[in-house]
Amino acid sequence: MALVKIALAGEGGQGVQSVAEIIAEAAYNEEKQTIYIPNFGLEQRGGVSIAFIQVSDEKIGAPKFDKADVVIALSERAVGRTAHYSDENTLFVYDSGFNADAIDLPEEAKKIIGLPAVDTANKELHPRVFNIIIMGAVIGLTNIVDFEAAKKALESKLGYKFEQNPDLRTLNYKALEIGKKMAEESLKEGVR
Amino acid sequence: MQQVITENKKAFMTGNETAAWAALVSGADIMFGYPITPQNEIMHYWTRLAPQYGRGFLQTEDEISAGFTVCGAVQSGKKAFTATAGPGNVLMQEPFGMAEGMRLPLLAVIQQRGGPSSGTVIYSQQEVTLTTFGGNGEGHRIVYSTATHQEIFDYVIKGFNTAWKYRFPTFILGDGYQAKMREPLELYDPETRGIEIVDTYPLVGLEGSISSADRGPQHLCNIYSMEEELYDVVMEISAEYESISPEVVEYEEKHCEDAEIIILSHGVVSRAADDAVEALRAQGIKAGYFRPITLRPYPEKALRAAIARSGAKKLLIAESAYGQFYRLTRQEIYGETAKIETLFMPGVGIVDNDIVSKVKSIL
Repeated sequence: MALVKIALAGEGGQGVQSVAEIIAEAAYNEEKQTIYIPNFGLEQRGGVSIAFIQVSDEKIGAPKFDKADVVIALSERAVGRTAHYSDENTLFVYDSGFNADAIDLPEEAKKIIGLPAVDTANKELHPRVFNIIIMGAVIGLTNIVDFEAAKKALESKLGYKFEQNPDLRTLNYKALEIGKKMAEESLKEGVR
Repeated sequence: MQQVITENKKAFMTGNETAAWAALVSGADIMFGYPITPQNEIMHYWTRLAPQYGRGFLQTEDEISAGFTVCGAVQSGKKAFTATAGPGNVLMQEPFGMAEGMRLPLLAVIQQRGGPSSGTVIYSQQEVTLTTFGGNGEGHRIVYSTATHQEIFDYVIKGFNTAWKYRFPTFILGDGYQAKMREPLELYDPETRGIEIVDTYPLVGLEGSISSADRGPQHLCNIYSMEEELYDVVMEISAEYESISPEVVEYEEKHCEDAEIIILSHGVVSRAADDAVEALRAQGIKAGYFRPITLRPYPEKALRAAIARSGAKKLLIAESAYGQFYRLTRQEIYGETAKIETLFMPGVGIVDNDIVSKVKSIL
């Protein structure tokens, strides 16, 4: 697998870093070279939080990158903050529920994709699994880890919660699957 | 000592966690520290791990105190260390200077953040001057600049040995990226790799007595009455530092045989430089790679030899600071005629494309 660079950005508390960590862990468990670096500015809460992930079969160089293969912006502010990571090879993903007037989408992208992640989480699942839908979407867009490995990583991170409430496991797996399908569909349809 | 790691263990962890594990397998007795981002988790992990293995920790009231408590602990023969960054590194220069003057085997992990002042909590290579030549001494320190988590692990182990073998304060110079990012590495017990752990020993309160002439006086001193006394001490330390330097110095060199341009970098930036050199070579540009692993002592001879061997007309110095590594390098290779070009990106990461574009713009 060639190097895949992902930038995930959202508001503090949206679970961006947790998702990034689970994805990175899953890739590492599949014996891939993996780097995960959190952006950890002074704004621990309430600021835009960015996670940088790189996955490859080969040794990885610099921990940061200028342009990503996939950018996922999970808040209106995050769209503007991450637009410069996008170039003609980038899949730029945002939530289709954002106010179109409030966001500055990047000028350059291979494809700009609006996914109804927030809406789906709220209406079909639970607001808390919004970030797991996003995790599924990352996998759907990049195939950096296979679906089973992702489930396993989720289990190892959240297993203790699943033990207490098995419904949570079903909910999370469902969110993961919906996210993945949503992303795969978007690639087929060429949503812009 | 209780064995920490029985079998080689693959891990996916942060550089800070790596440093704590490395100190543990090195047999460190105690850490003294004061919190500052981005090195906090070294303390956090150490305080989690240390009690399980009978090791100690003390959080002091500030960095000055953390440095001095390490100075005290090592005199009692304890393998002690600290970790800091940015303004904390500034404050620690006072105890680091004492360690230079009294030849104390102190080990400090520095995770560089942006500067000046509080700068950023994120990343830079702006603590090079401070770590190599900080304080009011002569830079009699050993500074390893690491690039990967594996190196953090390897060089913390090696750094303790260097400190106790040569009795010069030793530094593991990392940065915020290395501190915070997660990447794979292998943890191991040093002895299974044939690495002998240098024994620690008390520097004061020794056996025997001076009066019965069992041994000479152990006179550890950081202040002198006469200028000539200080002169003698500094000259002796300088001579010893210079004599051990060839054994201590380390560097990495690639593709310098026929290089038209040699790219110089250190620490995490060398990962980008390595990729950049490969990319340039693939495009038919004869680029070479040279990376000092020890910034003090500097691999001056090896670098001069690489320049001579290659016949390179140009050097490119790339760093996440505004010329700290450049100044360090320039003074070491004074007289070389290869033109020095620079890529200064203070406080921000450098990627291979930055270096590739720069090389293309100057060749």
